[in-house]
Amino acid sequence: MSYIEMSPPPRAKHLWRYTPWEKIKPQDGVPVADKVLFSIDGDIALQSGAPRAVLESDIARVFLSEIGGSSHTLHIDGDFGLIHIQAKASGHVAAGHLHIDCKGSSTVILHLTGEADWSGLYVSGEVADNCKLAYGFVNELSNDCKLLHCEDWAVGRDAVMEIAALSVGGSRCKSDVRTALIGSGGSLKQAVTVHGLGSRHIDNHIEIDHKVANCNSRLVVNSACAGSSRSITTGLLKVAEGANLTDAGQVFRNLLLSDKARADSIPELEVLADEVKAAHGAASSPVNPEQVHYLMSRGHSPQQAETLIVEGFLIDAFSNLRDSDLKDVLATRMTVHLECELKR
Amino acid sequence: MVRDMAGEILNISNLHVSVEGTEIIKGLSLAISKGEVHAIMGRNGSGKSTLANVLMGHPAYQITSGEISYYGQPLEELEVFERARAGMFLSFQYPSVLPGVKVGTFLKKSIEAVRGEAVKQKDFRNQLKAAMALLDMDRSFLSRYVNDGFSGGEKKRLEILQLVLLQPSLAILDETDSGLDIDALKIVSKGINQVIPQAGCIVITHYQRLLEHVKADYVHVMIDGKIVKSGGPDLAHKLEEQGYDWLEAKA
Repeated sequence: MSYIEMSPPPRAKHLWRYTPWEKIKPQDGVPVADKVLFSIDGDIALQSGAPRAVLESDIARVFLSEIGGSSHTLHIDGDFGLIHIQAKASGHVAAGHLHIDCKGSSTVILHLTGEADWSGLYVSGEVADNCKLAYGFVNELSNDCKLLHCEDWAVGRDAVMEIAALSVGGSRCKSDVRTALIGSGGSLKQAVTVHGLGSRHIDNHIEIDHKVANCNSRLVVNSACAGSSRSITTGLLKVAEGANLTDAGQVFRNLLLSDKARADSIPELEVLADEVKAAHGAASSPVNPEQVHYLMSRGHSPQQAETLIVEGFLIDAFSNLRDSDLKDVLATRMTVHLECELKR
Repeated sequence: MVRDMAGEILNISNLHVSVEGTEIIKGLSLAISKGEVHAIMGRNGSGKSTLANVLMGHPAYQITSGEISYYGQPLEELEVFERARAGMFLSFQYPSVLPGVKVGTFLKKSIEAVRGEAVKQKDFRNQLKAAMALLDMDRSFLSRYVNDGFSGGEKKRLEILQLVLLQPSLAILDETDSGLDIDALKIVSKGINQVIPQAGCIVITHYQRLLEHVKADYVHVMIDGKIVKSGGPDLAHKLEEQGYDWLEAKA
């Protein structure tokens, strides 16, 4: 079914309850998108074009597949170190698709920047059997941009994947990241951090689908919201029939920095297998005044103290990741972002 | 010891402090000069930690009457961070955990906050190396998150590491000896002794054992929110032997 044939999803649907499709799509129908410009550092090149296997029931993915823009594939054959990919979104409407085909081992960081009024980004990828990919996504779009962002990942047998995301850009962002564990022994660690400032609206939907037995997954989402910003995180953990001995855990933490800030975390479980560990928890709280007092007793002003607490809270989401490059790069980008905000 | 009034750092006069409407400190007076170590001893609930917290400006503690001056300036005019920048330091009995904040980052930022200027990385590294060597601390400490998963002894060592790096004019040590084994107590005492010559020091403790390593010029006993007895180091020995009953009867 093409986009034009699809009805806008009703708000009754879990996925679209908090950010209706009408609020996140471009306001002018199906425009022809400019290309998100991808560039890559290092000894590896991006190939033109990317395979598209669109989930036809999802309006966002269908829309992104039809809007045009750029498309590239990164083939990782062998062991590579840290790879940075820059993605720049400019103009009125910009879109791009990046596919990562990992048949080795690497750490890939995708940095999204630019001032496009509306950006659409689709990232897909596979981590082949026995391979390892650490992938980071840093959203540093300008403050007045809208972002529609979808990702689809497949993790093979005994493969290890780590995903880390840092969302500090854009005024209204909808991210939908889905990972399927399709081979026995597959492992996923995922960490998402959100910093809400001003009136930012950040909606993250994260699906982890255990399709086979003996896989494990961990998800940590830390959101800090200031001003009148709002963060919504919906997590869906699926354990398919036969995916026995699954070990999965999801934690959602929210730090509320003002009376008007809002943060909602809605974890969901669909478990159809036996002998499954599937823990989940969610917590929201303001900044701990004892932490502020402790830092002030070390000479930090109240604002400096809060900034350091927020930085630590957000970086703490990455604590469970093993890939040190991934952790370091995202923590550095977080620190740079917060220092810039402190100087404003 | 003859008191040097000209070098007076802290003067507390007839202090009354309440927490949530309950009076904890009920008329306490104390003066501290540079280079002096004042040990404050007393039973649980006598108001020792309340004194430490009110000096550092914890918002839960209200001064209902009396005065505290720090280098002649009314202390209540200073915000908590201004007190730290003016040279006050509290070694917390229960320091806060700061998840995600690495010890190394925290120390550098705290030095910069207290001094009000950026510190060169090389200078910081050298100071840190010397302080950690003094306190027999492993460098792996620096990449851990502040107090996150620390044992009681590790927390106290980190407090004293900060004391050594921040070089305050007034150090308030709230039960720094609790949770320390004998060897750790000796090491931590080395850090405290390094700071004492340039600072006034309040040592809050239950036990005489810390005072074997950190020599107190004065020992004060608090009972029910007041100093009921002051004396020299011998007083700590007497308390160790006889407990507080004899003083309580007098009070």
